[in-house]
Amino acid sequence: MIASVPIFWISIALPIVLGIAAWLSGDRWRRGYSYASALSLLIPLGIVAYLYASGAESLVDSIGFNLTSYRIGYMYLGVDGLSAPIVIALSIVTAFVSIYGLKYMGHRIEEMRSAGESPPDYGAYQFLYNVFAATMLGVAFATNLVEFYIFLEGTLISSFLLIMYYGYGERWKISMLYFVWTHIGAVTFLAGALYYGVVEGAFDYLVLSGTNLVPVGPATALGSMAVVVALLMFVGLAVKMALFGVHMWLPYAHAEAPTPISALLSPSLIGLAGYAMARFLVQYFPMIMESWRPFLMGLAFLTIVYAGLNALRQTDFKRLLAYSSVSQMGYMLLGIATLTQYGLVGSMLLYASHAVGKALLFMTAGVFIVEMHNLRDIGRMGGLARRYPLVAALALFGFMNLSGLPPALGFWSELFIVLGVVQTYAMNGLGYMIGMTALLMLALSVTAAYSFVTMRRIFYGQPRSDQGSAKEVIDPFKLSMLAIAILGFVLFIMVNPMISGVAAWLRLILGSGLGGVV
Amino acid sequence: MIVSAPWYSWSSIWLVPFAAAAVMAVAWLLGVRRERFYGLMSVLSILAAAMVSTFALYNVLALHETIDAVSSWNWVSLNIGSGTSLAIGVGSYLDGLGAIMAVIVSWLSFLIAVYSLEYMKGDWGVQRYFFFITFFVGSMLLLVVAENLVLMFIGWEGTGLASYALIGHWYTDEEDKWVGVPGRKALGLPMYFEPSNSGVRALMFTRLGDVGFLVGMSVLFLVAHTFSIPGLAASAGSWMAYLANNDLLAAVLFIFTLGALAKSAQFPFHEWLVTAMTGPTPVSALIHAATMVKAGVYFVLRFAPIFFVGAVAAGVVAEAQSQVYFGIVAALAALTAFMMATMAVVSNEFKLILAYSTASQLGYMILAAAAGGLLVTQGSAALAAMDQGVFAGLAQLLSHAVFKAALFLIAGWALHVAESRFIDDMGNYAKYMKATAVAMWLSGLSLAAIPPLSGFFSKELVLESVAQSGYTVLYLVAVVTAFFTAAYTTRLAVRVFHLPPVHAHAEGHEGVHGPREAPSLMLGPYFLLALGALLLGIFWPIAGSKLSQGVYQTLSVLVRPEFMPAIDIATIAITSLLVVDILLVVAAYLRRVDFMSAVRSSRLLSGIHSFLFDRWYLNSIIYYAFVYSFIGLSLVLHVVDHGIDVFYHRLLPAFARGSSTGLRATFGGRTDYSLALYLSLTGVLVLLILMVWGVI
Repeated sequence: MIASVPIFWISIALPIVLGIAAWLSGDRWRRGYSYASALSLLIPLGIVAYLYASGAESLVDSIGFNLTSYRIGYMYLGVDGLSAPIVIALSIVTAFVSIYGLKYMGHRIEEMRSAGESPPDYGAYQFLYNVFAATMLGVAFATNLVEFYIFLEGTLISSFLLIMYYGYGERWKISMLYFVWTHIGAVTFLAGALYYGVVEGAFDYLVLSGTNLVPVGPATALGSMAVVVALLMFVGLAVKMALFGVHMWLPYAHAEAPTPISALLSPSLIGLAGYAMARFLVQYFPMIMESWRPFLMGLAFLTIVYAGLNALRQTDFKRLLAYSSVSQMGYMLLGIATLTQYGLVGSMLLYASHAVGKALLFMTAGVFIVEMHNLRDIGRMGGLARRYPLVAALALFGFMNLSGLPPALGFWSELFIVLGVVQTYAMNGLGYMIGMTALLMLALSVTAAYSFVTMRRIFYGQPRSDQGSAKEVIDPFKLSMLAIAILGFVLFIMVNPMISGVAAWLRLILGSGLGGVV
Repeated sequence: MIVSAPWYSWSSIWLVPFAAAAVMAVAWLLGVRRERFYGLMSVLSILAAAMVSTFALYNVLALHETIDAVSSWNWVSLNIGSGTSLAIGVGSYLDGLGAIMAVIVSWLSFLIAVYSLEYMKGDWGVQRYFFFITFFVGSMLLLVVAENLVLMFIGWEGTGLASYALIGHWYTDEEDKWVGVPGRKALGLPMYFEPSNSGVRALMFTRLGDVGFLVGMSVLFLVAHTFSIPGLAASAGSWMAYLANNDLLAAVLFIFTLGALAKSAQFPFHEWLVTAMTGPTPVSALIHAATMVKAGVYFVLRFAPIFFVGAVAAGVVAEAQSQVYFGIVAALAALTAFMMATMAVVSNEFKLILAYSTASQLGYMILAAAAGGLLVTQGSAALAAMDQGVFAGLAQLLSHAVFKAALFLIAGWALHVAESRFIDDMGNYAKYMKATAVAMWLSGLSLAAIPPLSGFFSKELVLESVAQSGYTVLYLVAVVTAFFTAAYTTRLAVRVFHLPPVHAHAEGHEGVHGPREAPSLMLGPYFLLALGALLLGIFWPIAGSKLSQGVYQTLSVLVRPEFMPAIDIATIAITSLLVVDILLVVAAYLRRVDFMSAVRSSRLLSGIHSFLFDRWYLNSIIYYAFVYSFIGLSLVLHVVDHGIDVFYHRLLPAFARGSSTGLRATFGGRTDYSLALYLSLTGVLVLLILMVWGVI
């Protein structure tokens, strides 16, 4: 279906325009800009709701560019079944974190100024934030590798600047580290993408057929170079996703970023690399992916358990959450690597459940940073549920999303990923059955362990340091968290459109899947 | 006759408690803090659920209808292509088992909620308490009546979450809320647990089993293409044959059942239930009598006949593998029943004794059903044994639910007046609270299986079922367990109600703070329950017959079970010995035989005592084997992670810096060197390009 107005371009341009206006206004009217940005960032949610309500398989902007004469292909903006869960999650999280940022960044900028530094003012923050959010949406809306890469760069540069200007600790060094690492990933991916595009003659991954966006299907012209291209893309995306071995940049960057940015970086941005794996690798190279399946699933389990156990040892709340994000990316890879309908559906749902859950948890960390004098050390927390009952409930809901307990959306992603994993190998024989069950038990219980042990360390027991007189006040700061949680619950109930959308896209790629004995 | 009752589809049993919980959450957000509001919401919504389920049971028992109400729309529907699809509807399946369970769950929960109104008065977390109680009941009812496995699993996880929250209700971890003797260690590990720790333990132990449930349910879906429980029952023959031919049947069934074993605290998952005693006492009553642990038993009762009938239909291979499965489950259940009963004998905390007892009794219930399944290799000839086993399990579940709820509610009052959880601080309660003492003896003797109380009939049925399976070991274990059960129950009742406290300071202060009769809102529920245990026994011919009719009207149950245990020589012998057992214990305690000084003076006895008191050291063993090994692994990985960090962020930059310095030193301004290097590298590049083009 083709939209009658260029709503996609508007949904990306509007936040950026608002951001520029905010930038020019400096510290003035920040509340207005923050809420207006939030509203503009909710437009994509409306777009997807409209898509689902219409029953169409995809929705594409009325404006598109024909760059076939440059051998680039077409550039559209649109949304289909695969990207719809991504857009939903991005829209919800970026909109409410914008409101959350009002108090948090106000506090942060004040704090930096009183420490004698001169960070850019709130308007500049709002500008960078909006660019970050809008380009992430652009990544999800893109239909062409070139377009995808341009938006991806937009997210990298804006988030780099946000960490550099407003981060904690050695923020110059860490932002540099972040920039270098993500560009190693991005450029490796770019090398593969360029080779693909040049040889195949176009960079499209979704093209218009009639009024519908359809996948272009497997790569045909690459021949024996297909493995190299697939490998370049995979390695590039693995670095972005922070899988085991190339994850080391993430705990630094995500722990030291200003918290509203952590809440977007950690779940949403790195998850986009997982989305890209489903989008590109599964579409272009299904047979190569199938031959890699044992390795990929092994890497996924390793990432889950390794990062999960490392999370258990962290004492810095934000760093713990960063490791937990690495672990969650392991689940995302696990679902993708099964190459089954179920697994991929589970992965895309995991993107959304992780976005909601982890955003809530980073925002929880932010509450204590703002209201309890930069309290980040879990060793000094304890008993906080008495002071912050609502925040404790929201954090619990966040952890439920990570560990897959209903009524959190994470339940559905867990169910589908397990279905996919069981479908691939478990039925091959008794050893496989017991082995796969043991691996899943290990993975899921490590996740539950760090979630609920952390919950206990932070919120239960007696306070382990003098916590002063801090007490929960219900303000927009916390209501923005509540809004994310409520929408997360709504997604749990209304999960079906997301599932059937992803499945519809996958049927075009995989048929009934490459997986398994049954 | 299967009907899809229209009245039911708008009044699903679980809907009201869930809705009430949602209202409570919204009210809390809006700033409503009135205790009365939350209490009444909870009690009334559970009452509504109880009435709907009673109506459903009436449909089942009086009108012989099975209610099968599935929504016409699907919550989730996924078209996988090539003709397969995954659809999850929302619906209830209420046959005899489901309806009876729903009635037991909802009415007991109702009584416990009423008791809580008084018990939790003035507690600082009372709003949260009633929210989770209601959510708990809703989840339990959902899992009991769910038509498909996914809904059942959602309810299942819901009970896990609620129990986590309620066990850790007093999460500020004051010492009087702990379980275990503060400071006591076994094999170097602490044997006392704070509420917040117990909550995490409950969640983790059950979560481990739940993954098994999830995997098992995935396998079942992939081979049978449905999550629907009646659907799975109908096609059991074919999917079980498929699994059996791949040599997977026993493993899959066992993995699927892991969730139930964990929920019902069977070995090796039993540890969580013991420390769950940190929750407020009505929560313990709820978990032990109505919700949570009964979920696992329900699961076994629900699926054992399905597996049995399926295996018989699938043929010899499937029968043999199913027998292995039933054998493992029966062995674990028998072990749990015996083990936990031995621990109860030495425990010194009121609620802990009851907790051990619950795990032991749950073992009984599961043992009954699994023992029925052991005859699966005899084919359809053994159907009656299977169905008898299910009936025995359900009978035991019913009578246990009634008397254990009563016992826990009594414990709540006993702990309150003693301001202690240790039985040595309690005493002579019979003097101060006559009605409570009567209730205690009625429910205690029912647990001890003394006629004419209901526990007698259900225990006899269980023993019969086990005897029928032909495995003498299982039977002997079950009989020995019965003697332990009678002994610890009597010990508890005599110690608390008829002897002065060991620690003299505990008695003496009478009046408001001393031992006194419970207020009627608390006394009422447990007195009614104790009376129920008696009436259920006296009217067993009626109650049992209804129960057996209900079981007969259950999925895959094909033979109507006998509701009266055969009163034979074995029954008479065991029962008289049980009475002797009880009288001996009473006599020993009333004559003040000092067991503890005997234990202290003998190395052997004190060794045995510690072994039992520290729960066969299993907690420590599990901790060393799993918890500490993972903590160790996590430490190792932490070091590895640091190594990776150093490699990328120290060594690589240092190497780059070093080589750059080295190169600069070499070339330092010599144009001829640089030119030579440039030319030679260009040459290599040209060569490479030529090679790629295939020129060379």
